[in-house]
Amino acid sequence: MSDAQLEVKQATMRFGGLKALSEFSLTVKRGDLLGLIGPNGAGKTTAFNVLTGVYAPTTGDVLVSGTRVNGRRPHEINRLGLARTFQNIRLFKELTALDNVKVAVLANTRPLFSRELMGRLRRGTGAQRAGAKVLGALDNYRDWWRAILGTGGFHQEEADVTARAGQLLEVMGLSARADELAKNLPYGDQRRLEIARALGTNPQVLLLDEPAAGMNTREKADLMVLIRALRDKFSLGILLIEHDMKLVMGICERITVLDHGETIAVGTPAEVRANPKVIEAYLGEAAHA
Amino acid sequence: MLRTTSTLVVAGAACALASWLFASSQFFALQASLVGVAVILAVSLNLINGITGQFSIGHGGFMGVGAYVGVVTSSLLTQFQLLPGAPQVVSDQLVLLIALATGGLAAGTMGFLVGLPSLRLKGDYLAIVTLGFGEIIRVAIQNTKEIASDELKLVQAQGIGAELAYRVTHLGRATGLSQIPQLTSFGMVWFWVFVVVMVTRRILGSPHGRALLAIREDEVAAEAMGVDTTGYKVRAFAVASFFAGVAGALFAHFQAIITPAQFDFVKSTEIVVFIVAGGLGSTSGAVVSAMALTLLPEVMRSLFGGFNVEQIRKPLFGLLLVVIMLTRPQGLFGTHELWDLGKRKKRPA
Repeated sequence: MSDAQLEVKQATMRFGGLKALSEFSLTVKRGDLLGLIGPNGAGKTTAFNVLTGVYAPTTGDVLVSGTRVNGRRPHEINRLGLARTFQNIRLFKELTALDNVKVAVLANTRPLFSRELMGRLRRGTGAQRAGAKVLGALDNYRDWWRAILGTGGFHQEEADVTARAGQLLEVMGLSARADELAKNLPYGDQRRLEIARALGTNPQVLLLDEPAAGMNTREKADLMVLIRALRDKFSLGILLIEHDMKLVMGICERITVLDHGETIAVGTPAEVRANPKVIEAYLGEAAHA
Repeated sequence: MLRTTSTLVVAGAACALASWLFASSQFFALQASLVGVAVILAVSLNLINGITGQFSIGHGGFMGVGAYVGVVTSSLLTQFQLLPGAPQVVSDQLVLLIALATGGLAAGTMGFLVGLPSLRLKGDYLAIVTLGFGEIIRVAIQNTKEIASDELKLVQAQGIGAELAYRVTHLGRATGLSQIPQLTSFGMVWFWVFVVVMVTRRILGSPHGRALLAIREDEVAAEAMGVDTTGYKVRAFAVASFFAGVAGALFAHFQAIITPAQFDFVKSTEIVVFIVAGGLGSTSGAVVSAMALTLLPEVMRSLFGGFNVEQIRKPLFGLLLVVIMLTRPQGLFGTHELWDLGKRKKRPA
């Protein structure tokens, strides 16, 4: 197994006659900071949806931590180490900021069956995966009982979950807002809470869908520093979609450019900026607009 | 764990004491039981419709499953002496508990089977499927036969297996199943009220409750954060169906006769009205509004005496729902809880 945490091989996504994404390939390793750009409707969000399991690719493969995940449900893919934020903020509005993160933080329950065994089964053949599902379901029901009966271990885990969620809020500078409902937070805080929540699932790769949308220049500058800091602190691989060229060119080490679902350029910010195809895609769009 | 056990023992003892103290007032006992059953139904439906944000309109059907399965169980068991030498009250309550468990488990299993395919989908499918389920239960019972006492005696001679088969196929059609052992005391009803409220609160205070709320708030985001949305929805639905079954079995054991019409679509809608009026998502709202709306006909009877309350109850419910939607669409309590009143005072800096 290579050290690639996320590997996309020639993924194509068709909706009827429309090819929303064509032979898209990408590799994210630990510590990478990559960008995905392109004009509106280029297929960037489609790419995210294919990676996270919202859509299964029509052809091609997606591998997360070495496991082929085509057709797996989004929550399974998430638990393999891939987390995302949403372009149009999708927080749990009526829950507090702290609870938003707590939803994502897995209780560190000692499972009935060892993690190794479950992991091996989940990666295995169809029959083994079915077995893993049955064992997992048994564990889930046991978990409900523990919560209903209020066992000692349960209270300890709750405290751990709360502490972990609190730490993540602190990292994102949201500690003061922990008890406020998500819907009452200012816009920039909501964007940061989305990142905190995604980090709660303890990912190896983080996908950020326009994290700076709607932020002012000052907030954007802070966000750039923060994204770099997160990458280093959690040794994450980060892939971000962004329209703000200054931000993308400023922090991304490599950039992939999409236009009409096709990958038209891959390279360092300098290479991409000089690429005539990229200039045409963007200026062409500007000319139409 | 120890605290839970002791709480349950204290609650059980309190309910038994109350049952004994008020044993002489049949009217009070009946009203208290009716109110209690309504509360169990409302609190359990709130787990699906209010907390998980799904929309079930077939809770009456699950109540019916629990009622009929419970009655078959208790009818079989009352023939045996389960606890030789124990007083009648004790063995009766034991039979009742077993009937409640089988009724609840049957309804819970049904809930699991109905929920598994329909909760995979998003949107209004659950409403359609549960509506259909309620009708299936009603029609199925209407197509059983009536118990004939001479036939029953012959079957009973052949042993318990034959009697079980006979009773399951003879649920009394639309005219109803009678000669139900009268085992429910209102103490038992309120013990289950206590249990369902406690279970709901414990679930809400756990990762499972947060997952259910997250599903209500945004299913796509919940799924992306590693929440197995289908699994959680099915589990919540099965738990709620279990309590609907228990409520049905409790109900059946203080009714002289049960008919399929008692568990039809009108009943399901009534429970929906309880929780919408109380505030979707609020357990205390469900409790308060189920109590108030169940007692409403009685209050009206004593106020306007002699006047046929049953006939105007349904139009009144409809009117009430319209008024609530216009004046307070979030319901009486919104999503707030009585026990959070103190906490809510704290304003974050």
